[in-house]
Amino acid sequence: MKKLSVFAVAYKSLLRKKTRSLLTILGIAMAAWVLVSLFGFNRGYEASLNKDIDNLGFQMLVVAKGCPYEAATLMLKGGTGLKYMNEDIAAAVAAEPEVDGVTPMLMQVVFDPNKGETGGLAAFLGVDPVSFPKMKSALPFKAGGWFKEPEAAEAVFGYEVAELEQREVGDLYLIPEKEVEVKVVGILERTGTQDDGTIFLPIKTVQKVFGIRELTSIGIKVKKDADMKAFEDKMYKLPDVQVVSLSQVKTTIMTLVSTARVMVFSIALIAILIAMMGVINTVLMSVMERRQEIGILKSMGAMAGDIFKLVWLETIILCIGGGLIGTGLALITARVTDVLVRGLLPYSPSGGLVAIDPGLVFMALGVVTAIGLASGIYPSWKAARMRPLDTIRSEVES
Amino acid sequence: MRTRSRNGLPAFLVLAALGIGLAAAALYAAVGCDLNDPDRDVKRLFPGSTGFKTLYVSISKKGGDDLLKKIEARLGDTFTGLFETSDVPYTMYEVYKGADLIGYIHGVNQKGTYGGLQVFLALDLKGVIMGFYYQKLTSKAAKAFRDPAFGGQFLGLSLEDFYKYDVVSGKEEPSGPISRIKNPDPAAEKDFRATLRAAKKNLILVDEFLLGNPHLKFFKG
Repeated sequence: MKKLSVFAVAYKSLLRKKTRSLLTILGIAMAAWVLVSLFGFNRGYEASLNKDIDNLGFQMLVVAKGCPYEAATLMLKGGTGLKYMNEDIAAAVAAEPEVDGVTPMLMQVVFDPNKGETGGLAAFLGVDPVSFPKMKSALPFKAGGWFKEPEAAEAVFGYEVAELEQREVGDLYLIPEKEVEVKVVGILERTGTQDDGTIFLPIKTVQKVFGIRELTSIGIKVKKDADMKAFEDKMYKLPDVQVVSLSQVKTTIMTLVSTARVMVFSIALIAILIAMMGVINTVLMSVMERRQEIGILKSMGAMAGDIFKLVWLETIILCIGGGLIGTGLALITARVTDVLVRGLLPYSPSGGLVAIDPGLVFMALGVVTAIGLASGIYPSWKAARMRPLDTIRSEVES
Repeated sequence: MRTRSRNGLPAFLVLAALGIGLAAAALYAAVGCDLNDPDRDVKRLFPGSTGFKTLYVSISKKGGDDLLKKIEARLGDTFTGLFETSDVPYTMYEVYKGADLIGYIHGVNQKGTYGGLQVFLALDLKGVIMGFYYQKLTSKAAKAFRDPAFGGQFLGLSLEDFYKYDVVSGKEEPSGPISRIKNPDPAAEKDFRATLRAAKKNLILVDEFLLGNPHLKFFKG
């Protein structure tokens, strides 16, 4: 006679009520899907945000107090209101022990009367040809590269402005108002930032063309092991400047995201609890329907431990099956989740928002298995303590 | 003096981060060649108009490489450079007076000596130029080119007139209406020729996308 294993008996028991078993597996799969996607989002978002901030090159910006340093503000102010600070501040900041590097910048905005019916603005950012490219090494070039000489009459165009001006490497460009010619030596790839609309020139060239010896901002790269908060406090003590720290941006964005995440994790927890109740309910119903069978098994010599093992195994099969389907779904739909979450969030970094790695998959499977083990205890215990005589008698009475 | 504005700053920074992309787009808006203020500009180019419809077309969507080759043949020059490609979206305006279509407006980007030119033409239903307008112009001779007297020389011309003009050599054989258009500044010859090329390209695209190619019969390719 062929000897049946406990696993085979448990598997066959589940097959007897296919629809119920399938629905239970789907419930667990949904919970696992949500769990993996959420943890994947948590990892992916933070990693992408960190990458975006690293790609910016510097973690801190020191600007003259009240100086508009963003394109949006410049637009609102019509290109006016630029404030300047002394070049010496850059040297003073560079001397701080926490600083890995500094890059001085000078922004200038001119009115171009030949842009549109009523004229428009053209923004120029003077940057240091040595320190700026080093800090912004992640900036990709579509063609050409950075200017090399500190006073070169050369320019690097952001993608949008190059398209608008129809400029290619080697072409000339005329700075409006000043009527100064510069040669285009590089065109950046589209970045989705204000770099796309910026014309970069060597800082000394901007100072010479516009007759300004000062700076509008200083980009600061802080050493990785430096105490950012202590350094920020030190920078706040500098006279007549304001400090814009990208760690603040990151903290603020992560706080906003964390708030949303707590809510979604709560929903995930509820989903897991519901799935757990579903498992207990399914297995318990199965046990109650099989009272006579369990009684016969016991009267044939099956011990309480064998019955416990049998029912527990059924629970674990359901949970592992659901877990595998759920993690598989999370992997397959990661891209869709990325698009949906991107549509819902007010700000999303440029990289992938959902990062699912093997570690996360194994962790989710572990959690789901643990849920299965916990959910199976009560039905298994209930089945194990059934008395054969009672179960057979109850069948006869019914 | 110290500046310690941490409380309000994070919120501002988030807004600034959100605004970065938009601001970049706002400073240098269009990828194709749209009217900056269509309501105002359509009214100015067609004073009697009551409304307009905007159409978005591209060579790649309508006919791909084959169409590009046909258009290049009609132009007498190849589309060149990073930004003159078959997937450039063209924005075309149909102008209405009540329910009646009364004309078209279309602009193209053209590479100039020192920057991009945006040449807009207002056309009647037969494709005859009724208005000429530089929306954007980077040139040392910008003032001369923007003079209404220069733009006025294009009025009444159509694609039929431009076919005899070779955009590569800058010559018209035999001499005709295009030869009579005077360059307002001889030092800006390249920008002058760029303007004529832009006008011819503009007329070909309107003929192809809006008029159903009525001027194709005049093309001696």
